[in-house]
Amino acid sequence: MGRRKKCIAMLLAGGQGSRLGALTKDIAKPAVSFGGKYRIIDFSLSNCANSGIDTVGVLTQYRPFELNAYVGDGEAWDFSSVDGGVYILPPYETQTGGKWYKGTADAIYRNLDFLRKFDADYVLILSGDHLYRMNYNDMLKDHMKKKAAATISVMEVPWEEASRFGILSTDEENQVTKFAEKPKKPESNLASMGIYIFTKDILIDKLIEDANDEESSHDFGKNIIPKLLNEGAHINAYRFDGYWKDVGTIESYYETNMQLLRENPEFSMIDEKFPIMSNSNIYPVQYIGNTAILENCIINNGCKIYGRIKNSIIGNGCVVKEGAYIEDSLVLPDTVIEEDVKIVRSIIGERTVIRQGARIGLREGEITVIGNNETIKKGAVKP
Amino acid sequence: MKEVIGLISANYGTNDMQRLSDERSIASMPFGGRYRLIDFALSNMINSGITAVGLITPYKFRSLLDHIGTGSAWMLDRKKGGLYILPGTTYGMSDKSDRFLLCDMRQNDVYFHRTNAEYVLCTSSNIVCNMDYTPLIEAHTESGADITMVTKIAERNNKYIKKVLVEDGQVTGVKPGVMRGELAFLDSFIIRRELLIQFMEWYSVKEYMDIFDILRKDYKRMDIRTWNYDGYVREIFSVKDYYNTNMELLDMDINGTLFNEQMPIRTKVQDCVPAHVYPQAKVKNSLISSGCLIRGEVENSVLFRGVTIEEGAVVRDSIIMQSSVIKGGAIVKNAVIDRNNLIGSDMVIKGSDEDIYVMLKEQRKAKKMG
Repeated sequence: MGRRKKCIAMLLAGGQGSRLGALTKDIAKPAVSFGGKYRIIDFSLSNCANSGIDTVGVLTQYRPFELNAYVGDGEAWDFSSVDGGVYILPPYETQTGGKWYKGTADAIYRNLDFLRKFDADYVLILSGDHLYRMNYNDMLKDHMKKKAAATISVMEVPWEEASRFGILSTDEENQVTKFAEKPKKPESNLASMGIYIFTKDILIDKLIEDANDEESSHDFGKNIIPKLLNEGAHINAYRFDGYWKDVGTIESYYETNMQLLRENPEFSMIDEKFPIMSNSNIYPVQYIGNTAILENCIINNGCKIYGRIKNSIIGNGCVVKEGAYIEDSLVLPDTVIEEDVKIVRSIIGERTVIRQGARIGLREGEITVIGNNETIKKGAVKP
Repeated sequence: MKEVIGLISANYGTNDMQRLSDERSIASMPFGGRYRLIDFALSNMINSGITAVGLITPYKFRSLLDHIGTGSAWMLDRKKGGLYILPGTTYGMSDKSDRFLLCDMRQNDVYFHRTNAEYVLCTSSNIVCNMDYTPLIEAHTESGADITMVTKIAERNNKYIKKVLVEDGQVTGVKPGVMRGELAFLDSFIIRRELLIQFMEWYSVKEYMDIFDILRKDYKRMDIRTWNYDGYVREIFSVKDYYNTNMELLDMDINGTLFNEQMPIRTKVQDCVPAHVYPQAKVKNSLISSGCLIRGEVENSVLFRGVTIEEGAVVRDSIIMQSSVIKGGAIVKNAVIDRNNLIGSDMVIKGSDEDIYVMLKEQRKAKKMG
């Protein structure tokens, strides 16, 4: 079984992220680019690494190529170790046939081999969809102190948004008394962040029970947690009050990116003690040319900038040619913006080419999104 | 292609670096915003398909080995082949700047014995170029020469570089110092491994000398040829070389020949946040590395990772190394500011094209940024 570990992690990374539209047409949501050099999965992987968790199973399903290639052997997050590391866990075939993962609990259940391989007492279950910095070790300590069966990380959300989340009620000791998945009339504004720590043996028992329950939709929020509560198990709520944002819609994805441009961003990438690590390609140093005019921009490795850019993030390896104008926009890696292009309030996908003189975006209304690997023709107009 | 192992020599220095290389070897001089000079030699080796590389270390090897680690950035953390650290001799501490001391090789002769490779490709570690050695290896194996030296017509005078004398395609000698227009030795050559091992025996009494000086009387007896390289090459021996070569990176044609996707120059990966150019900033014709926070004026300059230029600061024609901070009101012109320096708001630092101002590292310590 190898060296004894306190806790291993399983990261649910199979989601399509359909609300991100063109950005997830060909890649899974956790692999979507962020801040011009990161990918969304960097936050959970970095949190694990910074919390001293060295064994992570990454459960993939939807369009996994980019994600698998990016995660690799996990070396970029210091996960390459002899008795730990990153394990990519796709759905698989068995003697009685194969199926896609049916729900979050089913995905973990189908990887009990992974759970049993490691001699760990606790299992951390994560989704790779959020922007936050969190020391899971503090949560684990709380879980151990309370001797809980499960601990759910929670935070207060505005009451008017509460019905979008799994909502918990707790007693004074933060023990969960009630759990409601997306309630119409929420009794509390404590929302589940989709981060769970389970005592491993209890988790394995519950997953096996759930797998045999034909009525179940095999989901943590809908099935596993309510069942544990009904049985009177100790479910502990761990309160988190830091920055935590879902990047699951175009608007929230755009906003969380653009806040990085502020003088004092709510979530800053800069933190030497708790760095966000990424696995980027090799690029030369950013070059800012003589014709470039930059007003509040984030410029990533390998960019060559000759145009005018205002309040925008330019991803790794992009070229912005002379006479191009970009405002309030996010340009994802390896994209070329040719001469005299005008882009406002837009998200431009990876490896895309915007040919000369094209006009993209509108100052008001919906944010314009151009997908990955596209070519926008010379002079084209995409409002 | 015949099997070739690499040898990179880093066990030498010069007197002309104005103490920038006191605490580090020239091989580990930071370069071009995020690289170190050794990156070129290492990347050229692996880009040419050489997967076993011996590195002769300098006396002050801390920064070099810190940078190279296991060699994983160059994919040299391998089972077969990989990176071999070969401790250099103390002869390297003399400032003679000999690149290929025989004693450095003799002291590490195991490296040459424990391989079946037919050839050894040797190069210096202060060379800036993106060179594909494949045609050199082909030329050498086809000609059957004992040694093939990489050469180029010198673009400027240089006392550190050797001049190569050639008659009828055969090298007849080398002389110290090269003048513009003469044939310069680019400190890279390929030799049959067995012959190199024989050198170690034949010339053992002269082991404290550079191979090419040892051969002085024997050139005519051997088959030594040249292979001309016509790409961009610079060798860094002085502050002036260092400054000018960094500045040449602002020419995007030169930049593009050194740094391209097909033959990437690899370096140690550091997780650095992207550069942020704030609304107050003015940036023209400059390399701005990740982690830089720019609120002041920057023109014709190379900024390394994590440099802070405050509002009201002016930086022109300068090289600012990692984590230095230029306070508002400070003026820096024609200067090389080594890492972790704080340039206060009252400071005016002005060198000239001919006399570059050099500030050694941590002279006025910059507070570590959060």
